[in-house]
Amino acid sequence: MAFLRHTLWLLWKDLLLERRRHESLLAMFFFGTLLLFIFQFALDVQPEKAADMAPGLLWLALVFCGTLGLMQLFQPERENHCLDALLLAPIDRAAIFLSKVLFNLMLMALLEIVVLPLFWVLFNLAAWDRLPWVFLYGLLGTVGFCVVGTLFSALTLTARGREILLPLLLLPLLIPVVLATIRGMEIILRAGDFSESLPWLHLLIGFDLIFSTAGMLVFEWVIES
Amino acid sequence: MGKWGFVFLAYGIVWLAIAGYFFCLKSRMRKAEARLAQLKSTGKIKHAS
Amino acid sequence: MAKIEKKRGSGKILGALALVFILAGLYFALIEAPPDANQGDVQRIMYIHIPSILTAYLSFFIVFVGSCLYLWKRERRDDILARSAAEVGVLFTALTIVEGSIWGKPTWGVWWTWDARLTLTAILLMIFAGYMMLRSLIEDEDRAAVSAAVVGIIGFLDIPLIHMSVYWWRTLHQPPSILRPDKAPWENVHPAMLIALAINFAAFLLLYFYLLSLRIRVGETEERVKREMLGGIA
Repeated sequence: MAFLRHTLWLLWKDLLLERRRHESLLAMFFFGTLLLFIFQFALDVQPEKAADMAPGLLWLALVFCGTLGLMQLFQPERENHCLDALLLAPIDRAAIFLSKVLFNLMLMALLEIVVLPLFWVLFNLAAWDRLPWVFLYGLLGTVGFCVVGTLFSALTLTARGREILLPLLLLPLLIPVVLATIRGMEIILRAGDFSESLPWLHLLIGFDLIFSTAGMLVFEWVIES
Repeated sequence: MGKWGFVFLAYGIVWLAIAGYFFCLKSRMRKAEARLAQLKSTGKIKHAS
Repeated sequence: MAKIEKKRGSGKILGALALVFILAGLYFALIEAPPDANQGDVQRIMYIHIPSILTAYLSFFIVFVGSCLYLWKRERRDDILARSAAEVGVLFTALTIVEGSIWGKPTWGVWWTWDARLTLTAILLMIFAGYMMLRSLIEDEDRAAVSAAVVGIIGFLDIPLIHMSVYWWRTLHQPPSILRPDKAPWENVHPAMLIALAINFAAFLLLYFYLLSLRIRVGETEERVKREMLGGIA
């Protein structure tokens, strides 16, 4: 399908750019690690309490880093009128949306793959066999974050005070994602049993599906010039 | 504060705020209408000449 | 001109009707209705709190409708509808939070608690506030209107999910011994209480639509001012 091909081309373009410039990923990684350290100092996380607080802190750190990434997301397009060129091309605008979402998702997934084990060690969390489930929740939550975040990143492109406006708009709407991911992770860390967290998992998957669809439908109005 | 005190506090704030907003809207309306009338009258003069 | 006069006329009737119901509502809420068995007279705040909350959500629904219509037809008046509903909605949402907080102090002993209802109302206020900030921070008016419409739609779609997640959060780990004063006292309902609630509910609805129609007229007049100014230059 042409749609899929276009999405992958655009994604490839962004990945190439990222590899050459190393802008977003490195910054996000250092910032994320720094945040985890600062949380430890600021909150003085006791070992017994670590499992309770860990998911919340992890997710906070990811949200901050993710927002950084979102700010940069359409940066390549803003230079040299690339955005106009992109819009003139005979590409379905939903493909632009999907490629940006996937790009952001890949960056954040990479970030999580590195940060999560680091986090596990720093906070002395439970048995390592629970890590995949925690990672799954993290990934699903990240999908929700990227979908709504990409949409709003494009929406606020021309707004003044974008650095404040984007998080201000985004975070209240992401509350279901934040709650579902953190509570899900907590349950896994505490009980090791993933069935208790099923309602949260369903909520997360539902959120991702609803807003991916809504995002693709609505994006063509969002990105006009 | 007695129990009725809380009731009056809540009701008081609510109705004051609503009244305040109402007068704010009325004032905006008056200003906009005045501006509109002014623009229309100067517009007429422009078109007439 | 005649159309505007007619609008004003019906607006005035709406306003007068609202006033009548408001006064009746005050009488029933403060005098006729008996005090609650558990909470005493403080419970009377419910007669404005429940209508406030419902008007706030109604407002958001109207923002949603206006946003959908605007994206579909791109007519200015739908944008004005959405914008007006957001503004009046902010007012009623903020009032709901204030009422909830004041009701909470004598009931739970604290001005704020992270119970489901207060938290949800605060989130609604934040979404409204974000919506209005977005409008004012985008220079190009048409882009601002489109962007705001998208936020209105996405926000509305999100509300059920936000509700579910916040309610689960507050109930799944709450030990059952804690009092849940956010539960409406439907158990022993005195008929006078129901009447008071119904009248105040009608009062708030009428008041809401009156303020909304007023705000829309202000918006339309300001729109015409802008067009006159541009027309004058051309």
